[in-house]
Amino acid sequence: MSGIEVWLFRLVFVALVGWFASQMLTRYRLVMAGANNLSLDDVPGRVQRLVTEVVFQSKVIKAKPIVGTAHLFVFWGFCAFGLYTFVGFLQGLGVVDLSRRAWFHAYQAALVPFCLAVLAGIVFLMIRRGIARPAALGATVSRESIMIGFFIVTLMVTFLLEFFVFGHQASPTVAARVNWWVHMVLILLFLGLIPNSKHLHLLVSPLTLFLKSPQLQSVPNLDFEKEEVGFEALKDLPAKARLDAFTCVECGRCQENCPAFATGKLLNPKALILQNEAALLGGKHDTKLVDLYDENVLWQCTTCGACENQCPVGIEHTPVIIGARRGLVSNGEAAEYLTKVYNTLERHQNIWGPGNDSRQKFITSAGIDIFDPAKHEYLVWLGCAGALEADFQRSLRALFDILRAKGVTFGVLARERCTGDVAKRSGNEFLFQELATQNVDDFKAKQVKKIVTSCPHCLKTIGHDYRHFGFEAEVLHSATLVARLTGGAHMAADETVTYHDPCYLGRYAGEHEAPRQLLARFGATVVEPERNRDNPFCCGAGGGLLFEEHEPGKRISEHRYEQLAATGASKVVVGCPFCSIMLKGAAASANANTEFVDLMSYVDGKLKQAGARPDAGA
Amino acid sequence: MKIAVCLKQVIKRDSTLRVDDARTWVRDADAEFEMNEPDAYALEEALRLKEQHGGEVIVVSAGPARVQTVLREGLARGADRALHVESDALAQADAFAIAGALAAAIGPEQVDLVLTGLQSDDQGFAQVGVVLAEKLGIAHATIIMEVKVEGGALRVKRELEGGWFQWVGLPLPALLTIQSGINTLRYATLKGIMAAKKKEIRRVDAPAGVAPRQKIVSLYFPEKTKQTRMITGSPADAARELVRVLREDARVF
Repeated sequence: MSGIEVWLFRLVFVALVGWFASQMLTRYRLVMAGANNLSLDDVPGRVQRLVTEVVFQSKVIKAKPIVGTAHLFVFWGFCAFGLYTFVGFLQGLGVVDLSRRAWFHAYQAALVPFCLAVLAGIVFLMIRRGIARPAALGATVSRESIMIGFFIVTLMVTFLLEFFVFGHQASPTVAARVNWWVHMVLILLFLGLIPNSKHLHLLVSPLTLFLKSPQLQSVPNLDFEKEEVGFEALKDLPAKARLDAFTCVECGRCQENCPAFATGKLLNPKALILQNEAALLGGKHDTKLVDLYDENVLWQCTTCGACENQCPVGIEHTPVIIGARRGLVSNGEAAEYLTKVYNTLERHQNIWGPGNDSRQKFITSAGIDIFDPAKHEYLVWLGCAGALEADFQRSLRALFDILRAKGVTFGVLARERCTGDVAKRSGNEFLFQELATQNVDDFKAKQVKKIVTSCPHCLKTIGHDYRHFGFEAEVLHSATLVARLTGGAHMAADETVTYHDPCYLGRYAGEHEAPRQLLARFGATVVEPERNRDNPFCCGAGGGLLFEEHEPGKRISEHRYEQLAATGASKVVVGCPFCSIMLKGAAASANANTEFVDLMSYVDGKLKQAGARPDAGA
Repeated sequence: MKIAVCLKQVIKRDSTLRVDDARTWVRDADAEFEMNEPDAYALEEALRLKEQHGGEVIVVSAGPARVQTVLREGLARGADRALHVESDALAQADAFAIAGALAAAIGPEQVDLVLTGLQSDDQGFAQVGVVLAEKLGIAHATIIMEVKVEGGALRVKRELEGGWFQWVGLPLPALLTIQSGINTLRYATLKGIMAAKKKEIRRVDAPAGVAPRQKIVSLYFPEKTKQTRMITGSPADAARELVRVLREDARVF
């Protein structure tokens, strides 16, 4: 390279890298201005996730194998080209020219397949984004995306030209120099365009993913001593939420999987994150979050967790939504349907009203002992539905019978309060902590070590949220325990059913195999509905929405019911009292006579049916 | 508008009750307590009136130290300050003594309006409000379902029997006993709870030497009895009588 070329490149380099750095600095300052909520518990788990989700792009590929593979090619290509670019900078800046070394030629040769993979990948992705245009990517194609696509193609073409044509020339021709300059300037331009585009995910998503909590919906307790009340204005967003806003790659997976969005509501998790980004860059620090987002969206979230779980770049949506709800609830601005629930919870410690008497009648008639740590292995947690819901009580009786038949000792608490699930998810942190503290005191007083519940919401609340109150116990859903207890059972399949995974079981607890094992063991052929296992479509009840009677758009429960009905099965097995209520309601609206049965009732029914036959059952 | 709201602390409705050794009250040593529900509606109504017309809401309770919990709750829901007539003897006092204690606290405040719940969830005398009005020497109206402030006076809707209502006008100052369901209760907010910690609960001495006018002679759980009654007559008459008995005596429909 001539001296003039080196000086010219230095000039271009400083200008474009400076542009890049100043944009990055702005974002860095915005992130650091947020409260520090970065947590690094479970480092091995985080590293493992980084390997599977970044290096092998498991999440990107799982949801969309073809698009994901194309993305994997581009990603690996970028990584492979890192050293090539670095050598180019060293050469251009006049530091050292390594481009004629033998190892570099070998490296270049090794890059060719990566280059072809990138080309194939990027051309496919450009066609998808520019021509096919799936709805989740948004109505408009950003100019930057298209420009960057062409940049990448040009980078690859210039590399191939360099390797196959110009690299063999004894002395560089003008064409070779032009080729080199085009390649290097495009890289620098690309760098400069990164911060203000979705391509920032190239640089920050590994960090964001690493910082994402290992636990879905990790919403730490508010500290009342510090007068924390939740997120009211943009300035209250903590560092991770700010980083999330800048990381969003706008792929739309959250939007595609959101039950609220799918049923025509205004809530769009992707829009929410991008609204945070725009507001942060726009300096709207004092703007109330509720004014930043579309109307009422904060009350449309069922906290099903699909958005957060599907996000390939580590964004956590639920802490923002629940945090913003807290900000509203703390000021008395909760959605109207919640006011009544809160009053009921305050007065009766049960989401539906006074339940103590009917709970007492239920445990008396079912003949259940009060838990005694000296006599009982498990505490069976009944939950609000256990006190007041006839269908759920049938399911609990089934569980009691199974446990007795298997010789498992268990008892119940003399009195229960709601775990605080609805309060926690809907943002009433004070009420949640009141209930949680008292429940944890009860557990500790009774030396409870193992809990089994048939309610997935109680499962998440006791099993995860109560850890923040210093309560660690083995908390199981009844499906998990009963699957363990009936390992040897086998009945020939005699009916076809479909199974609806509750979000708080399949997605949050990752427990989607035990229910299927039970169904298979006890004579059912399961036809899977659309959206199953760890990515179910919500029934519409979570996050306090069980109590929302005027749902805008189509009812989420109806949408889910249609998916279940489309399997053709006339029997739906469920594993959650909320799902059961919602789906039965939807079936009734559709005038369908689909049969709903709770998993425990199903298993117990089959066990009793087969009771006389020694070959069946376990 | 300066409004005083009387709050009573009662044993939680959901509690399992046991009669005390004297068999004149329930054992309340280890009981859980809550705000008397009709009083919660009275407080809500006061807060709404304040939001409309400005002024101040003072919550007042008479009883032992534990009643400060309901005063604190009242402050958390939006009352400005609290008065506590503290005396252990008031825990089981009759309506006359309680009204006297409340009057001692409210009288010097010169309030425009006093609101109480229609009656308490435990004893249900529905007397404290009306006796208190008499002691304060102000007008009163009971079983109120709607309150309007018009030109320095009140127009209130009273609930009568059989689905009938009655509008009554009365001058200020006045006392109203509020019927449950008059409004929709607000929930306790975190901001309110934090603010309540900084609000004042002022102690007021209980008037000395108030002799009880009533005393509970005995307290017992309803005794379950079984009665069989034969209905005779022609099938048509027996059926008619059965329907009448089920409707009027057993009240099953």
